[in-house]
Amino acid sequence: MLVISNLSFKFRHRRLFDDLSLTAERGDLWHISGPNGVGKSTFLSVIAGLLNPTSGDIKLSSNGETIEDRRAWLEYLPAEANGLYLKMDAVQNLRFWSQLRGLKLDDEAIFGALAPWGLNHPLLRSDFPVEKYSTGMKRRLALARLSLSPVPGWILDEPLYGLDQQALAVFRERLGKHLSSGGFALLVSHDLEPFRNLITGSKEIVSRGSM
Amino acid sequence: MKATAFDQYVTLVRQGLRAEFVDKERLVSPVLFALTMLILFAFALGDLDQSLRIKVYLAETLLTALFALQLSFSRLFEPDRQDRVFDLLRTYPVSYSSLFLAKYTLVLILGSATLIPTMLFGAFLHQSANQSLFSWLVLGISILALAGLGALGVLLSVLTLKAQARQILYPILYFPLTTPVLLAAIQSARLCLEAGVTSPELKSWIGLLVGFDTIYITLGILLFTELMDES
Repeated sequence: MLVISNLSFKFRHRRLFDDLSLTAERGDLWHISGPNGVGKSTFLSVIAGLLNPTSGDIKLSSNGETIEDRRAWLEYLPAEANGLYLKMDAVQNLRFWSQLRGLKLDDEAIFGALAPWGLNHPLLRSDFPVEKYSTGMKRRLALARLSLSPVPGWILDEPLYGLDQQALAVFRERLGKHLSSGGFALLVSHDLEPFRNLITGSKEIVSRGSM
Repeated sequence: MKATAFDQYVTLVRQGLRAEFVDKERLVSPVLFALTMLILFAFALGDLDQSLRIKVYLAETLLTALFALQLSFSRLFEPDRQDRVFDLLRTYPVSYSSLFLAKYTLVLILGSATLIPTMLFGAFLHQSANQSLFSWLVLGISILALAGLGALGVLLSVLTLKAQARQILYPILYFPLTTPVLLAAIQSARLCLEAGVTSPELKSWIGLLVGFDTIYITLGILLFTELMDES
């Protein structure tokens, strides 16, 4: 369970959001909305641990026990970037991120993770730098990383960026599976239609930081 | 599920080496730079007096190596900077000590790959029929210098990673801090070649070099975590 209490963030003299609270439990999908530049991505960056909040608390617990290092329980997908080593191939990228989480995956497991995203072709997955991928393919690979990860919390910033209809359907199915298996997710997306039936809560960040 | 700090260290070193090998220009350019500099020095200085050979050899090879290493250090986090890999690393349960030690190991491996050919080529250019300049002890001293410079290099690379003015900040911070290490390296290498390994002062200079290495490595491990946590 992720409990965010009275979270505020100020960048220099600009207050981005103020006194923001929400609780994400198993199966929850929270949609974070608001106009451009209001601080939605910053809010997700704070939860992912990239930025320190000006004030407020972020607590993660499981079965009543507080999780000390929340990074071990959250997976973050930034907007317009995928966290890929661009000169390396898809398999090398997925293996690297999995190993950092302690997963020892053989080739078959990695190929299996690439398959639903249409990236399992031998000419695409190995010895082919991901910098040659299209925007949508890079996003698919980032989502493959996400679905390989065993962590319960997904922090998603514009996950649909560059995806075609086929990949969007796969993502929707993966997200649904993640939520039904006890995970939760926080989502920033300007296209809500694919998630309409999955969203359980919504928070709007309005300009000047007030809620 | 979480990988042990050692497993993470191994993963990060492997990935770092892979990143260097897939981009061969990054790997080769510091060595080429160093060798070109040495050739230019050799042409400019011409035939040297016997008494000057050791001094010129040490001055030019260590100076050249320093600049070549500087190139490597400043590009240490370049593959991680692409596509926000570094940001994603910070959101993963990665031990920051493992990350520091992995980057430090990379610096030692890649730095040695620059340093050893530079020292060998410099010795080859300045040796005479009756005097060989290559010495294993001098190479060891250079690697000790690399150990101190490398720790500083990793620390300052991450310090300037988020700073907008990193291109200016890096040399301003780096050069004053490297002075004691370079001074100790030059003095001990000179004593080794001129007075031999039995010189009484040699131990003191090597001791100073080891002392600064220890300080910089310890500071590196301690401060790296602070710098990574700072947002």
